[in-house]
Amino acid sequence: MSKIIASSAIRGAYKVFDRVSKKYEEALQKFGPDKKVELPNTGYYLPVIYGLLGHPVKTLGDMKPVLEKCKSLLPPHVEDKIWVPYLGHTLDAGAATLFLFEIEEALKYLEDPIPYFVAEDCDEDHLWLGAADDIILRKRGVEFVDGTAPGFAAIVGQAPDVETAVKLARQLIDKQLYVFMAGGKFAEQLKQGGMQLGWSTRLVPFGEPVSAHIFSLGFATRAALAFGGIKPGDYKNILLYNKNRVFAFVLALDEVDEERYAAAAGAINYGFPAIAHTNIPQILPTGICTYEHVVSNVPLDEIVDRAVEVRGLKVTVTKIDIPVSYGPAYEGERIKKENMRVELGGPKSFGFEFCQMKDMDEVKDGHFEVIGPDLDEIPEGATVPIAIWVEVAGRKMQEDFEPILERQFHHLLNQAEGVLHIGQRDIIWMRITKKAFDSGFRLKHLGTILHAKLHNDFGNILDKIQVKIYTDPEKVKELLEVARKTYRKREERMAGMTDESVDVFYSCTLCQSFAPTHVCVVTPERPGLCGAYNWLDCRAAYEINPTGPNQPIAKADEIDPLKGQWGTVNQFVYEKSGNAIERFNAYSIMEDPMTSCGCFEAITVVLPMTQGFMVVDRDYNGMTPCGMAFSTLAGQVGGGAQTPGFVGMSRQYVLSKKFLLAEGGLKRLVWMPKALKEFLKEGLEKRAQELGLEDFYNKIADETVATTEEELMEFLQKVNHPVLSMEPLF
Amino acid sequence: MGLTGIQIYKLLPQTNCKECGEPTCLAFAMKLAAGKADISLCPYVSEDAKAKLSEATAPPIREFTIGTGTNAVKVGGETVMFRHEKTFFNPTPVAVMIKDTESDDVVASKLERIKSICFERVGKKLCVDMVALKNESGDKAKFMTLLEKASAIDKPMIIMTDNLETLKESAEKYKDKRPILYAATSANADEVAKIASATGLPVVAKGNGLDEVSSVTAKLASAGIKDIAIDSSAKNIKDAVKDNVFARRASIKQKIKEVGYPTFVVVNEITQDPMLEAVIAAGLISQYAGIVVISDPDPAKILPITVSRMNVFTDPQRPMVVEQGIYPINNPDENSPVIITVNFALTYFIVSAEIEASRVPCWLMIMDTEGLSVLTAWSAGKFVADAMAAYVKKTDITQKVKHRKIIIPGYVAQLSGEFQEELGEGWEVQIGPREAADLPKFLKMWKL
Amino acid sequence: MAFKEPVEKYNNSITEVSISDLKVGGQSVLTGIYSFDGPVPNPPKIAMEVLDVKPEEWPQTLVDAVGDVYDDPVKWALKCQNEFKADMICLSLVSTDPNGMNRSAEEAAKTAKAVLDAINIPLIVYGSLNSEKDGEVMKAVGEACHGKVILLGPADDENYRTVGGASLGYQHKVAAASPIDVNLAKQLNILLGNLGVPLESIVIDPTTGGLGYGIEYTFSVMQRIRLAALAQGDDKLKSPFINMIGKEAWKAREAKISESEEPSFGNLATRGILWEAITAINLLIAGSDIMVLRHPESVKLVRSFMNEFFK
Repeated sequence: MSKIIASSAIRGAYKVFDRVSKKYEEALQKFGPDKKVELPNTGYYLPVIYGLLGHPVKTLGDMKPVLEKCKSLLPPHVEDKIWVPYLGHTLDAGAATLFLFEIEEALKYLEDPIPYFVAEDCDEDHLWLGAADDIILRKRGVEFVDGTAPGFAAIVGQAPDVETAVKLARQLIDKQLYVFMAGGKFAEQLKQGGMQLGWSTRLVPFGEPVSAHIFSLGFATRAALAFGGIKPGDYKNILLYNKNRVFAFVLALDEVDEERYAAAAGAINYGFPAIAHTNIPQILPTGICTYEHVVSNVPLDEIVDRAVEVRGLKVTVTKIDIPVSYGPAYEGERIKKENMRVELGGPKSFGFEFCQMKDMDEVKDGHFEVIGPDLDEIPEGATVPIAIWVEVAGRKMQEDFEPILERQFHHLLNQAEGVLHIGQRDIIWMRITKKAFDSGFRLKHLGTILHAKLHNDFGNILDKIQVKIYTDPEKVKELLEVARKTYRKREERMAGMTDESVDVFYSCTLCQSFAPTHVCVVTPERPGLCGAYNWLDCRAAYEINPTGPNQPIAKADEIDPLKGQWGTVNQFVYEKSGNAIERFNAYSIMEDPMTSCGCFEAITVVLPMTQGFMVVDRDYNGMTPCGMAFSTLAGQVGGGAQTPGFVGMSRQYVLSKKFLLAEGGLKRLVWMPKALKEFLKEGLEKRAQELGLEDFYNKIADETVATTEEELMEFLQKVNHPVLSMEPLF
Repeated sequence: MGLTGIQIYKLLPQTNCKECGEPTCLAFAMKLAAGKADISLCPYVSEDAKAKLSEATAPPIREFTIGTGTNAVKVGGETVMFRHEKTFFNPTPVAVMIKDTESDDVVASKLERIKSICFERVGKKLCVDMVALKNESGDKAKFMTLLEKASAIDKPMIIMTDNLETLKESAEKYKDKRPILYAATSANADEVAKIASATGLPVVAKGNGLDEVSSVTAKLASAGIKDIAIDSSAKNIKDAVKDNVFARRASIKQKIKEVGYPTFVVVNEITQDPMLEAVIAAGLISQYAGIVVISDPDPAKILPITVSRMNVFTDPQRPMVVEQGIYPINNPDENSPVIITVNFALTYFIVSAEIEASRVPCWLMIMDTEGLSVLTAWSAGKFVADAMAAYVKKTDITQKVKHRKIIIPGYVAQLSGEFQEELGEGWEVQIGPREAADLPKFLKMWKL
Repeated sequence: MAFKEPVEKYNNSITEVSISDLKVGGQSVLTGIYSFDGPVPNPPKIAMEVLDVKPEEWPQTLVDAVGDVYDDPVKWALKCQNEFKADMICLSLVSTDPNGMNRSAEEAAKTAKAVLDAINIPLIVYGSLNSEKDGEVMKAVGEACHGKVILLGPADDENYRTVGGASLGYQHKVAAASPIDVNLAKQLNILLGNLGVPLESIVIDPTTGGLGYGIEYTFSVMQRIRLAALAQGDDKLKSPFINMIGKEAWKAREAKISESEEPSFGNLATRGILWEAITAINLLIAGSDIMVLRHPESVKLVRSFMNEFFK
């Protein structure tokens, strides 16, 4: 907290207090205490005072207690030698300033003529609109609620020239923001620049002095009262409503004097940060606002982007600006050699795609670059290497989300007409048609697509995206090594994660539409039973869609570590299963196992005669030793029921250390279809080695040696399967 | 209820003798747990285990059969309050009542319609299931004539008479056809029990309200009668719904044996309005009725009633399927579009209804995807390029149309390229809309 | 042993939603007809659907039943109110469909306002089921109808901000539509809640499947939502239900095809009316609070059925 800001703001507030008190006394003299005071056409009196204090000001006399309240709010001046937590004091000074401004502005409506133009839009002769009435409030407020307008920029001061002013205004409007103007000549600059001003164009000049910005906050306050259903006087919720829902900020374009400091302090109460062009002290630590409170010394050409970032406003790209059609209909298109303009990566060359997290200031959103020859510089029909290098930054971005974003590239790029994308990571293979090329498609458009789609689909975790496309063979080769290192690191990280290393699991209830009681519990060592979601995916899905089917499950109140039972998990499963499943053991199959929906890749089944377990996957149609084929089993264990002895799971789960943990682990595995066994061979051998099981892979039977329990038993005895020496299950 | 497969397995001999028809005791145990097999199929299970199992696996509502042969109906056997908990098992039979006071012509015409009304939907037949014959006249001879006529159409019969002698005689005469006797009351329960006992026939226990019904069933049960349906004589819709709901709750949730039987509702005693009768019948079928009796064998009523029943009795975990094949809609010819989709019945119904509404002649190819919807079948690998191409090639679609264009659902657009490759030269795969509702517009714009 | 009636009343109740001077919800029993389980303060309501343009491709039976008013939404609505005794009017702004006539939001709002001004029973206004356009339309309708409380819909996961915003800004109620799924219904109510729309302003449109065309999915999802609300006390699922029954029922081939084309199906007029009435009865059993119907005869049938429970 900057002491300089605190002392300036507090000094500013005192100044305003003196001035407004004087004006008030004059008005009182002239009109008497019963004189009606009102803003045009509103049911909210003086909205900031009414909203925050719950006090309806109807007459001049009603202003008196407000002034007294302001006086009591004014904190002591900051002493040079004493350090106190200034933010609280500054905020109080700010709040007082707002009330004072509102009184000051309301008094203007007693003048004849009223110094404001009471209308929705400005005309040739009238620039300042003053307070908005309730009709405007509703119409525009709905846009704030539905996101058509995410918020507003309160401009203070003016740009160095008309051209810059117009440019800034256009940038703000492009982000669908309203531009509220007071305290400076910015509005006049826009008018000179030939812009239409008024609510219809979202460029709203309130009044010349900075005090007229009270109409910005009056608007924000009324939005909270009208749309948030918040009661007048519930100041906390009014401020929170604005912090959480109205993406507003203050842009200070020139010098910040004491009064402006005081006003900015008022705005901070609402969670609206101030971004200043001039070199004033900053308030960086977060607290009231979502991120920083005051950020300064920002060049004018960056100030809008910076403001958007500091306020946490999300970018949405409504149109993907590329010269070819885009949509799911093109996802399956194949491109034959004769229609192909160029081939990128693939078996005849090399290439990769890569997503990397960077710091906010290292990424310039929407920046695309092609390094190496572009499509028009590559001979027709040629094959060249490619690297799609995507750098992202976001306040909520995590390194673990990189592979999840990267996996999206395939289907995002494939949806462009004339673009084929196969594979992922360092096995990508792309083709682009002659037709797409002729329509003007170039490599930078790959960036356009990724930028637009990633922003829209992953806006919750991303703020900035830049894309570099490399076709220069040397560069691609060099970067490929960097990427491969990261690929390996990612694998190791996921492989190294254990259930014990985390305190949160994730749920997946996507399948409840047909299996009402099914709750998939996804842990680092147990992917979802469909095989499609691992723990990291679920965590990312939760960040992206906090109300979606993947919810965090706290792992606490341990009941049984071997069976994997926790009180909190039980409670979660109980609630989410519609009170149907009372207990859940993550690591047991014989007792309260996980429910199965119907999407499982494989089923594990107890084989009582052998005291072991078999695993059968969806692709195997034949009979199994348990006497039931996959389809029969699926019908009996699916539908969201807990079926002791049977559990649906992903194929990879066989290799998890938690597989059959409560029953003795992998040693109990006695049968699998041959194809599945081969699919998992490497992992099985590795796990067997870890467990010190000799030649275990060959001791697991398959359909070539046994399709009945009796044949299986015979085989197990022949190979002396370790299950034979284990304790019986029951 | 409530034993898991493993718990049942532990009670079985664990020998995998296969004599029950299952390859392992475990497989048999799973079937028992799901209520899809009977413990009597196991020759080696101990008496003790059998007793435990039959108690645990017997449905809380008695299940029995009325009639014989292919037209026989199974009633009762329900285990849940809500279909999403498992499923409703035995679709409520719809009976049409004929009174012996009705003229010969009316009787003949009614019987003819009862016999002939039959709709086929997703491979299942929706018909009038039973005939309820009422001795309204009180005259035995008249009634016996009616029974004689009715027995010819071979639908399971409900023999409704207040006269014990008539009941006895008709029961004896038709016992091989296994009709259900109507009704045992507080007044005659002992006598009716004797008739039922002697003939082995099921019987309806009738009383005013469930309280009286319970006392009648208790009497019948103590006389050894097991196959009972219950009629609480509701005279208005509210009581009918209430009694059905209460009987189901009491039997399933509280295991009250006295009402653990399928209910029996004579809808034409609740209303005289023939339209309302159909609405009430359908409503009661969804509200747990075991057997419903209506007065009018009108196909325009039987169709919505039986479709409603079919919907409610569909197993929520086992989607309805339609048969694989090429379905011509709106009289297509060699230049008509060809559309391919999955055999999930709902998909078929909605797609075919939209095509029909478009009035564009089309060939609709339905592929067997085990009843999975488009996206699910695609992700389960059932509705994918190679399987689809294999199916298309197997059919004679190329004899039906001159062109080689085929429309796939918009949701699986991503497989268009591969599908085209699998189909080979000459084929063009076109991407249809994602939603069936957009099909008419798509088809109207479609050009060869 | 005397039979003891197993009455089931829950400790939770369905949220009461007021649309103008009419209330729906409020019961602590599984469906609005289980008056034998406990009090039903607001019996289920029948709304009649009025289109904002002359309906295309409606079966003749339906056209005949509505009569000569079907090209004038105001007269049509009045006829439903005065002659057919509807509890509410549901105005379907089908003409706004961007894939069809694509009428502007402003025009649609005018129609809505005209109907609202003409009738004295509560109004429901539904869009063309094009999410984006419906958002735009509901904003305009909400504004035009400000001053009286109407039910706007449907809000879905794409346009809930706009429709929810219109509800907040102009104090209307919202029908939240999700595709036959308990969790999605709940999620949408949470999203609307996050926006600031209170639960007292929301009814759930669970998406209606017509008889023979998926009604069993709607039936079970509604029962599951009710059980979650009443038995488990899930606040987010305590909303009353609205079902667009007429629209779905009359889509069915069986409700439209003539007897000459399908002789075995029997009389078309009987069949069509029953198709709608039986769809309605099933959803009433599943818990519907507002049934939107089209044919005056099926309205009568459903009402006769329902009235018995409140004598």
